[in-house]
Amino acid sequence: MSDTAAILTQDRQKLEMSALSAPAVVFTVAMIAFPVVYTIWLGFQTFSSTGKQSFAGLANYSKLVSDYEFWHGLWVTIALFVLSLVLQLVFGVWLALVLFHAKRLPGIVRSLFISPFMMPPVVAGMMWLVILDPSLGAANYILQSFGLPPSDWLASPTWVIPTIALIDSWQWTPYVALIVLGGLQSLPPSVYEAAQIDGASAFKTFQRITLPLLLPTIVTAAILRSVDLLRFFDIIYITTQGGPGNASNTLNIYGFRVGFEFFNIGYASALMLTLTAIVFGAVLAFNRLRGAVAW
Amino acid sequence: MKARMLAMHVALPVLAIAATSTQAHAADFDWMKFKGKTVTFLANNNPVSQALLTYKADFEKLTGMTLKVDGYQEQQMRQRLVTVMNANSDEVDVFMTLPSREGEQFAAAGWYGDLTAMAKNDVAKDYDPAGLSQALLKAATFGGKLTSMPMNLEGPIFYYRTDIFKKCGLEAPKTIKDVEAAAEKIKTCDSTVTPFVSRGLKPAIAYTFSNLLHNVGGSYIANGKSNLCSAKGREALDTYSRLLRDFGPPGVVNYSFQQISALYRSGRAAMAFESSNELRTVMEGGARLKDTGLLPFPAGDAGQVPTTIGWGMAVSSHSKQPDAAWYFVQWATSPEVQKKMALQGIAPPRPSVANDPEYRKWIDEEPVRKEWQAALDVLATKGSSEVGYPIVANPQSREFIGQAVQDLILKQKTIDQACADADKALDALIALN
Repeated sequence: MSDTAAILTQDRQKLEMSALSAPAVVFTVAMIAFPVVYTIWLGFQTFSSTGKQSFAGLANYSKLVSDYEFWHGLWVTIALFVLSLVLQLVFGVWLALVLFHAKRLPGIVRSLFISPFMMPPVVAGMMWLVILDPSLGAANYILQSFGLPPSDWLASPTWVIPTIALIDSWQWTPYVALIVLGGLQSLPPSVYEAAQIDGASAFKTFQRITLPLLLPTIVTAAILRSVDLLRFFDIIYITTQGGPGNASNTLNIYGFRVGFEFFNIGYASALMLTLTAIVFGAVLAFNRLRGAVAW
Repeated sequence: MKARMLAMHVALPVLAIAATSTQAHAADFDWMKFKGKTVTFLANNNPVSQALLTYKADFEKLTGMTLKVDGYQEQQMRQRLVTVMNANSDEVDVFMTLPSREGEQFAAAGWYGDLTAMAKNDVAKDYDPAGLSQALLKAATFGGKLTSMPMNLEGPIFYYRTDIFKKCGLEAPKTIKDVEAAAEKIKTCDSTVTPFVSRGLKPAIAYTFSNLLHNVGGSYIANGKSNLCSAKGREALDTYSRLLRDFGPPGVVNYSFQQISALYRSGRAAMAFESSNELRTVMEGGARLKDTGLLPFPAGDAGQVPTTIGWGMAVSSHSKQPDAAWYFVQWATSPEVQKKMALQGIAPPRPSVANDPEYRKWIDEEPVRKEWQAALDVLATKGSSEVGYPIVANPQSREFIGQAVQDLILKQKTIDQACADADKALDALIALN
């Protein structure tokens, strides 16, 4: 076969492969692109309470700048994000270390440790709603059994964010622990042997070797959790619906209510696109951090 | 809103027409007319639909149609409905609706099919559309169009523990002031129970608060403006929030019907102001069967103006088979089915069913059921369907009412600040109407 014929055959094969895979590619792109493009388009529309629609240009975005609820929602979102992420990373690393070193821990105990994140968030929300009920819940009963004062938990404007952060951390810390455990198991044993020969204490070994080497894994876990935390919805909606008052009204909850309870889909789309931009920003920032700590 | 303080048996022209023309068309009526079709029903998974759907097989046998049920919790049902209707989709033929909440909004958006002609021309012999609560039918009529048929009659009623009242030397309260005095006394007389509980969850507050507002003689709107800062508005805000703050359970700002029913049923509340629909839940297990008294909410300066609403069944304006959909609506709101539902504790929107001997026998079996029916009779005759502001953006108006009450319960604002902030936000909503 001449070179020209071989090239033509290769080109035909490529063409055939492209033609065969085109439907799947088009379908996938459409499935991703259509909702995004549609939401962007909706963000430029305004809907009256009766669903009447008209082009609004950038009105939804300019409204957003002067909307107190938006800024409040952003603040609540960030507060919940920071608090939950810190709790989950700190306790996730700790739990991973426990599981890593407790090699003789029975499988059932290991499974129990990681079971919360397998529970649907709606179920977790319902369960904690009952446990934390100030009148009927077990949490206050336990506190009072130890002579401690009861708490209003989810009904207190002051404590609602820490309480939701605790619920989310209860559920997702094991997930972070699993990721970190994977990172721990892949660390080179030679550096630990060298540290042992040099007489490094357990704390120094953790501080100077384990933690730096684990950082890329921890940042990966942080990225995964960040995306979820910024979009956090289910547990908040089940437990407080954004209350008491607006104390737990995250951007996601606010956007949902604007869209599906007040029927202003245009403004809700603008809110959600802004939140999407924030999520992208956070992921980009963490990606840069991951690049900086890579080894 | 005097126009909606409706007497139960005031006949409306539309139903008068329906009643007279029914005989002419009943003879031609054939339940099997749409045999083989499938009707999709978007249901709120509440006690009303649960009771109705117990008889799903009966409908399918009677009509030869298939009933596809798409059931969700209330908020998720609306979310699904908004998506379907905004897409002009015919996926849903029949949906459940609360005319008092979303009626104006859905009617203005054109989501309701017009049932006026069908209720007039296409009814079975025994359907008796004129026998349905005229108050509820009027509440479901927008711009002269009948938009839904009532499934039940409900409203908040006052549950109280007769044993605790007796122990504390209290009589059943006749006025709102009596309720406050009873709460004060119970607080010292029996510290193990919560004296009073009602809705404190922001979007849920309007349902119970409206009753108190109307009882004291208040109104949501006066001269086209929000009226919460009026003397009566302040009185209602102050009384409702004080009752919950000083005598309610900890965490009451997250309380809706589930928490209230659970608290009262467990014997840890002396008084509860909650939906008449919750009777079955409250009586589960039988612990409260013999020590509960039931009343419409005690009177204020304007007497008793209870909140009376009902779930309705509407045909989607995008349905491709509105006639078949109407058959399902008709069956579900027929005297026969409503009687069956009534025997499951769903208050019937038909006086004829309420007076049915079998139903009366069921009522007479327990004193608490008698009191429940007596309270419902007051709701039916004196009720107002105004829950929140009578504007298109009614659901949003409930948010601001709830916010004002929560601000007071949590002591985050003075009453002047709370009502002024609410009025400002609500005036903006009214202006959009």
